[in-house]
Amino acid sequence: MKTAQTRALALIALCGGFAAAAMAAQAVKGDPAKGKALAAEACASCHGPNGNSEVPAFPKLAGQQESYLLQELADYKSGARANEIMTPLVAGLSEQDMADLAAFFAKQDSSDGVVTNPALLAMGKRVYLQGNDKNGVPSCDGCHEENGEGSKRFPRVAGQHTEYTLEQMKQYATGKRTNGKKVMRTVAERLTDEEAKAVAEYMASLK
Amino acid sequence: MKTSLHAPLLVLVAALVPPAQAEPPAQPHAPGIESKGYVWNQQDPELARLLARKGDPDKGKISYEICRGCHKADAAGKPEAGYPQLAGQHPAVLIKQMVDVRAGRRDSPKMHPFIEHDVVASNELADIAAYLHGLPVPASNGKGDGRQPDLGRHLYDRDCASCHGAHGEGDGAKFYPRVAGQHYNYLYRETLESRDKGRRNSNPEMVMVLKHYVDSDVAAVSDYMSRLVPPAKP
Repeated sequence: MKTAQTRALALIALCGGFAAAAMAAQAVKGDPAKGKALAAEACASCHGPNGNSEVPAFPKLAGQQESYLLQELADYKSGARANEIMTPLVAGLSEQDMADLAAFFAKQDSSDGVVTNPALLAMGKRVYLQGNDKNGVPSCDGCHEENGEGSKRFPRVAGQHTEYTLEQMKQYATGKRTNGKKVMRTVAERLTDEEAKAVAEYMASLK
Repeated sequence: MKTSLHAPLLVLVAALVPPAQAEPPAQPHAPGIESKGYVWNQQDPELARLLARKGDPDKGKISYEICRGCHKADAAGKPEAGYPQLAGQHPAVLIKQMVDVRAGRRDSPKMHPFIEHDVVASNELADIAAYLHGLPVPASNGKGDGRQPDLGRHLYDRDCASCHGAHGEGDGAKFYPRVAGQHYNYLYRETLESRDKGRRNSNPEMVMVLKHYVDSDVAAVSDYMSRLVPPAKP
């Protein structure tokens, strides 16, 4: 039988374990002010000063989920996400730098997206909210939420440039982009070209 | 033109780079009811481990996000698509079915990429099952045409109730699913598949029972099951 003392010791050990786990998860806390300064220097020329990029090929980062920003930076650095522009740029970033940048961009307001082909919005809405049962496409809102804001586990897609969204879907479908939760390769592969275009337009229209 | 100038170089690079993995890993194939020596619920190591584990419904709610695109946020599924209702199902049943899809004992190429090991960690299965079990069962499930209620009741009481319960409540301890409140389309399809041995992780006892069912019997009993409502738990 356990004595009160051993129980107390076990409890202390347990608490210590939790504390260590919590510290590991929160190893680096991002500082948005430092992130802002670093972003101005390293990111603004492509992604805009607040992460509202005006070039459709470069993703908007403003309002993106912090966890996602951090993960993608880490994946660029490790090579899990390959990109000839980003790879050399993140090479010099420390873990703290990446946390600061993620904290900064996550707190910025996303500008409204640009719908380039409004005729596709109705179809895009249908795919986004209902998926396609015939080809096994799940609805996008399951992970990215109804308004496209994403969550701790899945990125924001609302207001994103259609060109960027489509390029990512293409990269998933062809196996060029393999990082992340591994389900987008299936979704992108199952979407028809028209569905992909339509859903990208609908995402751009979300606020 | 720029493209033609670089074409030979691109070909060279393409030859050197290993082909990218565009396709998600195909669903594996594990022996099922079509194989000699098939034993229903022969303990899969993952199944045995997960059944012994207490799932965490709070974690399960988060892990379930990846399922919502088809089974929906309230886990009511989609009757018209044949996506089953999952809310309130027994955890052991849910875990068994997920493990069987992962292992390839139940063929579901549509679902497999979303439940494979790369996507959902083993412990998450127990958490998801615990979360789904606690959800209220929606009453607005898809029903059958209601044309043969007497035949449906007769068949159900004679052949199904001893395992699936008088009210379709199932029995988690024996992996018998709750069938009450399930979508008619799903019940009809899966019962036919079990009869015809397309659902390869079926219980051979059930397949024996179904052997003499014609399609209209399956329709009647599926309709009956879709309308069952177990008494509320005290």
